[in-house]
Amino acid sequence: MLKTLLSFFIFISLGCVVIEAQDYIDRQGEITFFSYTSVEDIQAKNNQGLSSISLETGDIAVRILMKAFVFKKSLMHEHFNESYIESDLYPEATFLGKIIDFNQDDDEQIRIIKGDFQLRDVSKPFEIKSKITKENNTYSIEGELEVNIEDYKIKVPKLLSPNIAKTIKVSFKFQYRPNEK
Amino acid sequence: MKNKSKLIVFSFFIASIYNIGAQSLLDKLKAEPIDTTFYTEATFKGTRVGVGHSVETRKKNSLEISVMNRFWNLSREEETETSNSFIADRMSSRFGIDYSFTDRLTYGVGFSTLNNVLDNYVKYRLIRQQDNGPNKFSLTAFQSATHRSIPGNTNANFNDRLSFTTQLLFARKFTRNFSLQISPTYIHRSTVSSDLDDNNQFAVGFAARYKLKGHTSIFSEYFYVANELNSVETFGVFSLGVNWELSDLLLQFKMTNTGNFVEDAFITQTRRNFNFEDGNFFFGFHATYFIQL
Repeated sequence: MLKTLLSFFIFISLGCVVIEAQDYIDRQGEITFFSYTSVEDIQAKNNQGLSSISLETGDIAVRILMKAFVFKKSLMHEHFNESYIESDLYPEATFLGKIIDFNQDDDEQIRIIKGDFQLRDVSKPFEIKSKITKENNTYSIEGELEVNIEDYKIKVPKLLSPNIAKTIKVSFKFQYRPNEK
Repeated sequence: MKNKSKLIVFSFFIASIYNIGAQSLLDKLKAEPIDTTFYTEATFKGTRVGVGHSVETRKKNSLEISVMNRFWNLSREEETETSNSFIADRMSSRFGIDYSFTDRLTYGVGFSTLNNVLDNYVKYRLIRQQDNGPNKFSLTAFQSATHRSIPGNTNANFNDRLSFTTQLLFARKFTRNFSLQISPTYIHRSTVSSDLDDNNQFAVGFAARYKLKGHTSIFSEYFYVANELNSVETFGVFSLGVNWELSDLLLQFKMTNTGNFVEDAFITQTRRNFNFEDGNFFFGFHATYFIQL
C-alpha cells in the first residue's frame, strides 16, 4: 500500500515537473487576416495572440481575442465585431493541435500542424504547413491557413457579398519563450 | 485491494498524460489575464439616434458626410389648393459634415433648409462603457450653437439669431441587442418670438435601440420638455425608425413629428403631435457616408 502511494506521488510530482519545464508561451503573437476582392481589400492585425507549445509532445494551443483585431478603417472594427463575428457571443477563436514529428533540437524545420480551429462555436480540422525555427531558447512558428467563411456561419448580406472574400487568408507568427511563473 | 490501488495509480497516470495535451495548454491560456480594456461598441448605430444625437462619437480621423431629409404633406387648414404634389407637399434637408479629431472628440457643421439654419456642435465622450472594466455606462457632453433666419424680422442682428443647446448623454448597452439613453438638455435662445416665452428651456430625452439582425436595428426616442412655450401649443418630439447599415453607408428611415434638424428647434418648438394625419406625419430619410482619413 505504501509502495503504491509512493509511486502515485512520484507520478504526480513527475507530471508537474514535466508540465512546468516544457511549457513555452507567447503572449503577443501576431495574427493577420486578409480578404481580397476586386471591390475592397480588408486587412486586420492582432498583436495579442496567446499561444503555448509543449516541446515534449509537440502539442500546441492558440487563443485569439476577436476584439483585439485592429483595422485601418476604424468603423470596420465595429462591423466585424457587431455584425459578422458577433464577438459579444463568441469573444475568442481557439486552435488545438499537434506539431507532427516535432523535433525540439532542430534549428529549422518545416512541419505539419494538425488540429482543430474553433470560431463562433464551429470547429473544423486543419493541416497547416508551418516553418519552425529555434534561436537560443526561443521557438518561432509561422504559417498560413485559409478559412472558408461559410464554414463558420458568418453571414454576409447579399449586397455586400462582392466586398468580402469567400475564403479569408489568415497568417500567424508566434515566438515562444519558456513560461515563467 | 492491491489491484484497486494499482487501478487508481494507472488512472492518474492516464490523466497526467492527458494533462500535458493541448487541452491543458489551452486551459492555461484561458487563465491568462487580459490586460487590454475593450470598450463596448455600437451602443447606438450612428452619431444620431433618430432626430437627436446619440452618445456615439467616431474614432480618430473619421469623416462623415450626411444628408438628412424630411418629407411631409400640408394639413387641410394650411392648404391653399388641393394637395396633388408628387410624393410630398413639403421637404426639408440638412447637409452636414462631422469630423472626429480624437476617439473622444467630434465636431460637426451643417446647414438645413427650413429657416436657413446653420449649426455646429462639439461632442466629447467623457466616459466609455467597457466590456471588461469598471465603466458600466457611457457619458458624452454635447454643445451646439445654431444661427437661424427669423422670418418677418429684418432688424435682428447676428446675436439675436443664435441658439445654444447643452446636453449630457448618458447611455448604457444593456445586452448585445438593447441600449438605452437618457439626455438632460438645456436650451438657450437669444431671442424669443413672444414675451410669454422663456429664453431658457429644460428637457429630458429618452432613446432606445434594439438590434434585430446583424445589420438592422430599430430605434425610438422622445423628448419631454419641462417648461414648454406659453405662446403656442407644442408637443414632445417623437421618432420611430430603422437603421440599416451597408458597409460605409448608414441609412436611417424614420417617422417623426418635426421637420427641423437642430436640437433647439425640434426639442422645444415642435407644433405637431405625432400621428399619421397630413401635416403631422413626417417621413425622414438620413444617409451617412463614412470616410477614414
